[in-house]
Amino acid sequence: MEHVLDPVAVHRVTDREVSLSDTISAVAAGDRDAFSRLYADFSRLVHAILLGRVPRRDVDDLVQDVFVTAYTRIRELREPAAFGGWIATIARNRATDYLRQSREPVELPDELPGGDPIEAETFAVLEVIRGLPEAYRDTLLMRLVEGMSGQEIADRTGLAPGSVRVNLHRGMKLLREKLGLET
Amino acid sequence: MKDDYLWDPSSAPDPEVERLERMLGRLRSKAPPLDFARGGPELVEGPAPDVTQIRSRYTSARFLVPTLAAAASIVALIGLTWQTTRGTRSWEVSRMTGQPRIGSAPLAGTGRLGVGQTLVTDAASRARLDVSTIGQATVDTDSRVRLVDTREGYHKLALERGTLHAFITAPPGQFVVDTPSATATDLGCVYTLHVDEDGTGVLSVTAGWVAFEFNGRESFVPAGASARTDPRVGPGTPRFDDAAKDLQAALDDLDYGTDAPAKARDLQLVLSSATPRDAMTLWHLIARVSPADRGAVIDALDARVPMPASITREAVMRLDKAALDQWWDALGLRDASWWRKWKGPYPAGKN
Repeated sequence: MEHVLDPVAVHRVTDREVSLSDTISAVAAGDRDAFSRLYADFSRLVHAILLGRVPRRDVDDLVQDVFVTAYTRIRELREPAAFGGWIATIARNRATDYLRQSREPVELPDELPGGDPIEAETFAVLEVIRGLPEAYRDTLLMRLVEGMSGQEIADRTGLAPGSVRVNLHRGMKLLREKLGLET
Repeated sequence: MKDDYLWDPSSAPDPEVERLERMLGRLRSKAPPLDFARGGPELVEGPAPDVTQIRSRYTSARFLVPTLAAAASIVALIGLTWQTTRGTRSWEVSRMTGQPRIGSAPLAGTGRLGVGQTLVTDAASRARLDVSTIGQATVDTDSRVRLVDTREGYHKLALERGTLHAFITAPPGQFVVDTPSATATDLGCVYTLHVDEDGTGVLSVTAGWVAFEFNGRESFVPAGASARTDPRVGPGTPRFDDAAKDLQAALDDLDYGTDAPAKARDLQLVLSSATPRDAMTLWHLIARVSPADRGAVIDALDARVPMPASITREAVMRLDKAALDQWWDALGLRDASWWRKWKGPYPAGKN
């Protein structure tokens, strides 16, 4: 990929990895402020992954749960650069546990919109995205809900920029088809 | 589509992606401060402990009961998806109260409603339908509802009598309910549809939009509004539920009355008493009144929501679709482009 060969980009990533490594070492030593920085940097990623899988009303709680889990297990993380992929896995597992524990029926789907028609439309689109393959779903939610750029998604998740680009475009194409927006 | 914008939000925007961003951005993480206390007292002070010291609050019954209940719907949808992919053309139906029937067979607990079958409730029974993977519908007492069709992207019921409450999350146009006097097409919403024995009915929308159509006459009903329907005429003019009672009565008479002088008085009452919020109603009237009355309706709407500079009075007088769409957009209710690809908000009417 051409941006990987860009020395500026390589330098930036290297600096970031060093910074992330320092931050994670500080967290392992009990530095709460350092963990707050991780939370600020990665909470959108975790939020997007959970939003694609669990009822919205519980997403914020589960985000906190994921980060508390990450905090308690931070010493298990051997490669600081892999933090994004690691916490993403914790988030996916937390969502799976949440769904597995669910047994009781409910009257209506969890996200009953209120009186705002735009809100209903928003949830309708969210449902369509939730039906997309995982790679497209997560990437699109990071982009369209969380406002992350493609490069930012790559940096946070640890995915290759080329893979993120492919996921974004294929996911968007699929979304457009399902919403009937294809011309 | 401008591909670069999807990758780089600082580049030239793609309008469609931008619109999805605006809409979905409302769900964005608000990142409340991290609450270490939820990990237990061990996390409130001291360095990061080992995970085995932590007991998640999610194991508590206080959390489990509501969240397990909420997530069960997702499990149900996964099950329904599996059944759909197997080619099963039926929906799950659950007894809520009393003794509903599928055809003549009593429904005990849960069952399946196949294409062509009718769900019947009596004065004491109610039932819930899982609408494939796209939502749910509750059937009230004294109702008859038949599953006409269900396949990927299209699901159709016929409500012969009674009351149905629908909650649909699918994109516009996928869920349709036939009644004896109109067809309700869901545009992503929550609504209630009632049909009397004589085929008359009323549609009330709680969230989203519903298109109500019969013999080419259409009404677009937004959240907070209702529209009556009658087998002789089709859907009536939609109005917000909080509109003035005398205005609503005048609209009913305009839609279904037969006394020409009385209808003329009703039209004058509507035009003079309509508030800016009633602009949606006036917009529908443009195509429903006679050409002789159309100018007055246009003036009344213009006084509440000025006609966009991009269209002309002449274009609206001849019911030009593009002009009507632009004025609709100016009402500020919802951009017509969202469903224009489905069918369009053009208010077909009988003059």
